[in-house]
Amino acid sequence: METLDYFLPQVWFAILALFLLLYVMLDGFDLGVGILSLTSSTEERRGILMTSLGNVWDANETWLVIMGGSLFGAFPLAYGTILNALYMPIWMMIFGLIFRAVAFEFREHARRKFFWNLAFGAGSFLAALGQGFALGAVLAGIQVDDQGHFIGSTWDWLSWQSLLIALTLIQGYVLIGSTYLIMKTSGPLQETHYRTAKLAAITTLVGAVLITITTPIFFEYARERLFQAPQIYVFAVIPLLGILFIWQLLRSLNAQAEQAPFIWTISIFVLTFLGLAMIVFPYIIPTQISIYQAAAAPSSLVFMIIFIGFLIPIMLAYNIYQYVVFRGKITSEAAYGE
Amino acid sequence: MDVVALSRLQFALTAIFHMLWPVLTTGMAIYLVIVEGLWLKTKQPQYYHHARFWAKLYVLNFGIGVASGLPMEFQFGTNWAPLSEATGDFLGSILGFESAMAFMLEAGFLGIMLFGWKRVPPVMHYVATIMVAFGANLSTFWILTANSWMQTPAGGDFLANGKFIVRDYFEAIFNPFMVNSVAHMFMATLETSLFVIGGISAWYILNQRHPEFFGKSFKIVLALAIAVAPLQIYIGHLSGEQVYHQQPTKLAAMEAQWETLPAGEAADWSLLAWPNQQTETNTWELKIPKALSYILEVKPTLSAPVYGLKDFAPEDRPHQLGLIYYSFRTMVGIGFFLAGLMLITTLQWVRGKLSAETISQQRWLMRGWLLSAPLGYIAVESGWIVRCVGRQPWTVYGKIRTVDAASNLPAGDVLTSLTIFATIYTLLFISALYFGSRIIRHGPNLEMPVPSLEASGPEDGSTAQHQPNQRPVEAKQ
Repeated sequence: METLDYFLPQVWFAILALFLLLYVMLDGFDLGVGILSLTSSTEERRGILMTSLGNVWDANETWLVIMGGSLFGAFPLAYGTILNALYMPIWMMIFGLIFRAVAFEFREHARRKFFWNLAFGAGSFLAALGQGFALGAVLAGIQVDDQGHFIGSTWDWLSWQSLLIALTLIQGYVLIGSTYLIMKTSGPLQETHYRTAKLAAITTLVGAVLITITTPIFFEYARERLFQAPQIYVFAVIPLLGILFIWQLLRSLNAQAEQAPFIWTISIFVLTFLGLAMIVFPYIIPTQISIYQAAAAPSSLVFMIIFIGFLIPIMLAYNIYQYVVFRGKITSEAAYGE
Repeated sequence: MDVVALSRLQFALTAIFHMLWPVLTTGMAIYLVIVEGLWLKTKQPQYYHHARFWAKLYVLNFGIGVASGLPMEFQFGTNWAPLSEATGDFLGSILGFESAMAFMLEAGFLGIMLFGWKRVPPVMHYVATIMVAFGANLSTFWILTANSWMQTPAGGDFLANGKFIVRDYFEAIFNPFMVNSVAHMFMATLETSLFVIGGISAWYILNQRHPEFFGKSFKIVLALAIAVAPLQIYIGHLSGEQVYHQQPTKLAAMEAQWETLPAGEAADWSLLAWPNQQTETNTWELKIPKALSYILEVKPTLSAPVYGLKDFAPEDRPHQLGLIYYSFRTMVGIGFFLAGLMLITTLQWVRGKLSAETISQQRWLMRGWLLSAPLGYIAVESGWIVRCVGRQPWTVYGKIRTVDAASNLPAGDVLTSLTIFATIYTLLFISALYFGSRIIRHGPNLEMPVPSLEASGPEDGSTAQHQPNQRPVEAKQ
């Protein structure tokens, strides 16, 4: 029983991390493409951008819903406390996602597309901004009482650290969106996104460096975990690998490779994510609430593993199948048809 | 206004708005399975064109359904954190199942269903359509399971600190309300969709646009309605009976019953009344003698008492009595109206008045169907008002009070989010009506080439250069 008390919350921490990572990667490029659409020079280009997401955005966004539901079930205390504390960034994200979602259908049918174009682009930006603030606020810590309930105030989530993380996340999404578009487009549009990818790679790098430097300086808990043997060796490897991946990414962009930039970007996301997860673990709200405190009863966690855990490979399989069915490039919006 | 009232209002607003979209897509998905199946079986191009045409309305509704569904899940954490903490072990798992089992299935196959007509073989496409319908209805199952548990919590214990610990999951899932609630909602989505599809078909027939084509969809709808409309009344009756046994305060509110009606007596049924909470009586009422005992138990006298509101302390009674009372009557009235319309239409069908040549002459009947298109929505919304407002003052009936379930938030924050919701939803509602009616006015594309049923893959065999998102041609304006 005691082993279970440790083992099960850890399993669920890993499952939730997987859902979040899948969400950030998959809906990340959706949101990135959405933000990039704000810079589209023509209606046709914007159409191609939206077409590249038409059949996948919904399934991609579902990982967020699954993450939310699983967090609710596996760590009810953390779910309530985090969402209560992040009231404003959460709704910022939700309002953004609402606009992005309906823009797909409404733009299709609208004669005057301006408003729905804006809804798509600005909605994507707003959603990314909300997510960035939420992430930043959780890393910066949430004020709770001894029961684990939120006792801070409405604007706690807003700080220069959370702003820095939010801006960097947006850059990261633009980067992954650009490299996705490199795969899905050709010609002048692809050229444009080689350029946006390069630009985003550099701005993401700047943000990442600033975060890497400031985190141990300003967050005591992070400092304690980072500069301790043996963790320090692991954490030393992550920035080094990060530099290697970014270098590879820039090289592949210069070589005009089609798939490699996306793969290197994904690698950077996974690496960053691993780093964050290792700093946070075993907390779910850093240094306030551990996964063991927030976890549901073992029976619930087991029940959820039976129903959700075993579905993960199946969900992955049909999601991959969908990508296989729709693989290949989008030639032009005008080439729609039967 | 205090924050609890604002959070309740926000939940009600988002739920009422959200409900409008899945109620159609869940039922329509079944209809799409039927027409695509008919196409595969009969090889008649008409059925293929039906599948393509109705899918356009389907996807418009689906998009808004997804968008407006997100806030539902997140509100549990943002506005109802104490509830989430207390019941997360069960409700959280159920919402997790809904997303992993049902919603992902629907979302994962939707792309193939909408844009994959030429990408995958017909059989694979049909599998995708079935998966979308299956996923949507599985969502109904899990959401209604969660809600039923909040009505009749079972399968575990509430600890002293209010936390619910599950003892037996299957007992919790199969709580007393579950089976009937799922069936009632399943029928509600199907019936609403049938009368929407039937109503739109009737509109085309009235306007002499493709009357033969829409005569087909009209008859498919009617054939299903013959089973669904009466069955729904029966399941609704069973649900009412359950409220009688499990939620006495809700039943008293539904019937505006102040005094207890003892067992062994005949009970009158109040047809219309004006409940007054100050005087604890009805200002006026119109009663049908002995009808309530027949409604509840199908016999002249009651075997158990019907408790009156006065039997409960004022703080344990639902307060919005008029709303509950009239919502219930609206739902029941619509249920009977739709069944009556189905009956008359069936009669005309039997008399041979609905053939391709004569159906256009049934103008009053077609107008009746057109008018009934929005009624299913009104019935569903009313039903949910009875169900959830009637459960007050409890969030988990008898266990967790709504005031104890709400997050402690600054009222201004909730007012802000509520205002933004109201604005966005108004905009979306108007846009949806506008674009929906545009799709309908535009009509089906009967010239659309029909894919070959014999081919086993993409027709041109090319995989290198193609358009991943093949928007239906007719979607382009």
